[in-house]
Amino acid sequence: MQGKRIDNEKIKAALNRFLEKQNHIALGFGKNSIFITHKIYRDHVDDLFLFNPYFSINGATFFYRVFGKDIKALMLLRPCEIRAMVELIKLNQIDPETAIMVSVDCPGAISLKKANADMPHDFFEIKQALDKNNRELRWACRFCREKRAVVGDAGIRIAEDRSMWIFPYSDKGNEFLGLIDEETIEFTGKFILSEGVKTEPFTTDMATFNSDFSKCILCKNCRDMCPVCYCVDCLFAGDEYLPKGDALINKMLRTGTEIFPYGKEIFHMIRMYHVSQTCVGCGACEEACPQEIPLTKYFKGISERLQNLFSYMSGRDIKEVIPYLTIKEDELNDAED
Amino acid sequence: MTDKTEKAPEVVGFACSYCTFKASEMAGSLRMKYPEKVRVIQVPCSSRVDPAFVIKAIFEGADGVFVSGCHPGDCHFIRGNYFTRRKMAALKEMFKAFSMEGKVKLFWISAAEARKFIEKITNFYNELREEKNAGKKN
Repeated sequence: MQGKRIDNEKIKAALNRFLEKQNHIALGFGKNSIFITHKIYRDHVDDLFLFNPYFSINGATFFYRVFGKDIKALMLLRPCEIRAMVELIKLNQIDPETAIMVSVDCPGAISLKKANADMPHDFFEIKQALDKNNRELRWACRFCREKRAVVGDAGIRIAEDRSMWIFPYSDKGNEFLGLIDEETIEFTGKFILSEGVKTEPFTTDMATFNSDFSKCILCKNCRDMCPVCYCVDCLFAGDEYLPKGDALINKMLRTGTEIFPYGKEIFHMIRMYHVSQTCVGCGACEEACPQEIPLTKYFKGISERLQNLFSYMSGRDIKEVIPYLTIKEDELNDAED
Repeated sequence: MTDKTEKAPEVVGFACSYCTFKASEMAGSLRMKYPEKVRVIQVPCSSRVDPAFVIKAIFEGADGVFVSGCHPGDCHFIRGNYFTRRKMAALKEMFKAFSMEGKVKLFWISAAEARKFIEKITNFYNELREEKNAGKKN
């Protein structure tokens, strides 16, 4: 594998060189008053953090609104955020020419809900802190499918001997690597992160679903914070999806004594289906939920199960087509009942 | 004779107007009978059915939903039913994860197969009726 050996300073120098041109911006992690969060760099880079120990919002949720003008943006983000960007490119929400996506190896993160500001920000220190206290790690991170920076245009990876490397995966990645003042050499060592956890196919039943979602207040924050839930005219905007008037009276008279039809199942099940092939399992929905419902368990479980049906993985490769948008003539021959 | 205490299941069906809906019309002109609690909705192509419709139907009171289209390769719009096949296979997998398999069915019924239409739908209806009245004395 051909790559360049780098460190924090060299990345900063390359970013500063990138920002010299007009209409170029860089997106990465920087510090706000307390926590490390997403930051937009325009003229110079000072406090770049490659690793972020807190997960608050998936960056793709906001970054896809940045585009549309004649700009070029370089982003240094987590693999789950880059994967969401790749899915949004496939869904024509981002112009692929404007974004250079560089993924960075992720040591895992803690939820911002349970965060205290004393987390370290070095890869090994974060990993050590998380390993020591396993309870703190987010559910989505514990069962993460791809922590390795193998997605996007280039990837910053950590080797076992604690050295940092950058590898290009596309022409745009090569363009960025050209800005780094270093020789391209062959990498022969081993990486510190191995493949993600393989889990059993997710199974549940409606009783568990109802008890887990009994706390739901239908605020729809999970939809608003989902990076791949991008529709402007959402099916669930307003109350058009709920029965009303004669239809509701008819349902009440017909079904007998029952729980009031809030539409919780309809909302969550339909959303679960709609994001099934594009869900990256980042857990942003769970972060956004004020009632702390274990949403990731359902959305990640169902999406992995449905993606396995078509041997697809969201955000893995920009050339793969989303399964619902393509067909094969000879497949699923047992689909008929 | 249907027992009056027995609960009748409600079935919603989405039928492609080029094949299954024509088959249901043919069944009507041949004086064949199918359970009256089956409500067939005409759609221009089976791929018009967003699985959201199916989920909505099930959580608003239907006991079973079927989606029915032309045999693969016979679609009026060339490739429509291949998309249906992918979407419904995924939806069935999702219902399986929620231990609700059997509530959704996918049929391929051409315009000439009125008898197949009656058989499939009556079987589906009977399955649902047995499930709904399980534990009750007949």
